[in-house]
Amino acid sequence: MENINYCNCCAVKYEAMDAFCNACGFPLQGTKQEQDFYISERNVKEIELIDLDEKVERARRSLYWISGLTLFSLVFVVFKPSPDEDVSFLVITTLILSTAFLGLAVWGKTRTSTALISGLSLYLIIHILNAILDPRTILSGIIVKVVIIVYLVKGIKSVIEREKIKKELNLI
Amino acid sequence: METQDQAPLYCSNCEQPVLLTNRFCPTCGTSQNQRELVDDSKKWSQLQGLALFFILEIVTCLSTLFVAHPTIQTDIFFGVLMAIISVLFFSSDWKNNKHLLKWPGFSFVKLLTFIILAIIGSLMVQVIAWYLNQHVFHEEFFDFPLYQSHPFGTYIMIVSIAVFPALFEELAYRGYLLQKLLNIVDRKEAMYITSILFFLIHFSLFSFFWLLPFALLLAYIRIKENTIWYGILIHFVFNLTACLVDIIYS
Repeated sequence: MENINYCNCCAVKYEAMDAFCNACGFPLQGTKQEQDFYISERNVKEIELIDLDEKVERARRSLYWISGLTLFSLVFVVFKPSPDEDVSFLVITTLILSTAFLGLAVWGKTRTSTALISGLSLYLIIHILNAILDPRTILSGIIVKVVIIVYLVKGIKSVIEREKIKKELNLI
Repeated sequence: METQDQAPLYCSNCEQPVLLTNRFCPTCGTSQNQRELVDDSKKWSQLQGLALFFILEIVTCLSTLFVAHPTIQTDIFFGVLMAIISVLFFSSDWKNNKHLLKWPGFSFVKLLTFIILAIIGSLMVQVIAWYLNQHVFHEEFFDFPLYQSHPFGTYIMIVSIAVFPALFEELAYRGYLLQKLLNIVDRKEAMYITSILFFLIHFSLFSFFWLLPFALLLAYIRIKENTIWYGILIHFVFNLTACLVDIIYS
């Protein structure tokens, strides 16, 4: 029984001659100071991981917001005071776009980078098209647009960083 | 793979033997996925390169939509512009992309099957699109009248609708974009992202029912066969069929 040793950091079995844990890199033979330093470094990374998870989640939630806002924009289309104009095309397009963003937000639970990259691209294309058709639309709701774009870009960046930290911690 | 698994492994830092299951070297404590970590630190800048590519594509494609009086000249101009963008980006990472231009495991039967499927698929899409245009949007849309006035109109139309897009869209999307994405995300996500971006760049929301599956199929074949030539030929036959239907019926 006395020959079996478990790592103080990750509780994986190790051989008596190992200097470092082969599962987490903990300095088994190191001084108390080295071991504490290792644990604090690892904790910092774990906190960073939680922070990145939050950023990704925020980006995914902003896809729900886009879906909702797109649907809300129907109010302006339907109650526009120009009855002779055929709005059915616009209504169908808006409904499809809103559903698309909703679908991406849900899909983002499993395929995060696909959903965020596609969502950002679709969002940008819609607003560039709108801006060319009617330049006044650039300024309407500019703050919301910037916030959504920043959230999405940060989300995509966080997905990549998250993978990197997970690998550094050797979680995957 | 088997020989690799059985070969003795050594730590990348201290060259002491390590086991395949060891995530860190038991002797010096170095993480055994250093190379992956170095690759990971390049991912964000690679993604920025992709963003630049896609923004250029959006700007070029949007410009074609907003030309007030499209002529054969403007059509050729944008065709050539897209071709230049595709070739530039594809050759920007020539070292990693050049293998896609090879055609390993060429199979005549496979090619013929793909071509027949492309013709059938294209005809089906034409019928559905025609039906939608007639009964839902109440309009008819033909490309041929633009080229009709020119003595070589038919040939120019085939080059501009079938040859150019097939060659350069494949080079750009299934070539450059997919290859880069494979370094950044996993295989399935790379397939999904290229297909969705390919669909978005066509600015045709109602075409999702065929554009997305078409793009996914092309991406799948490209990954499976490791060449873009099948994709180019399928894309070419698909567009050519659409082009010929357009010429006959307009």
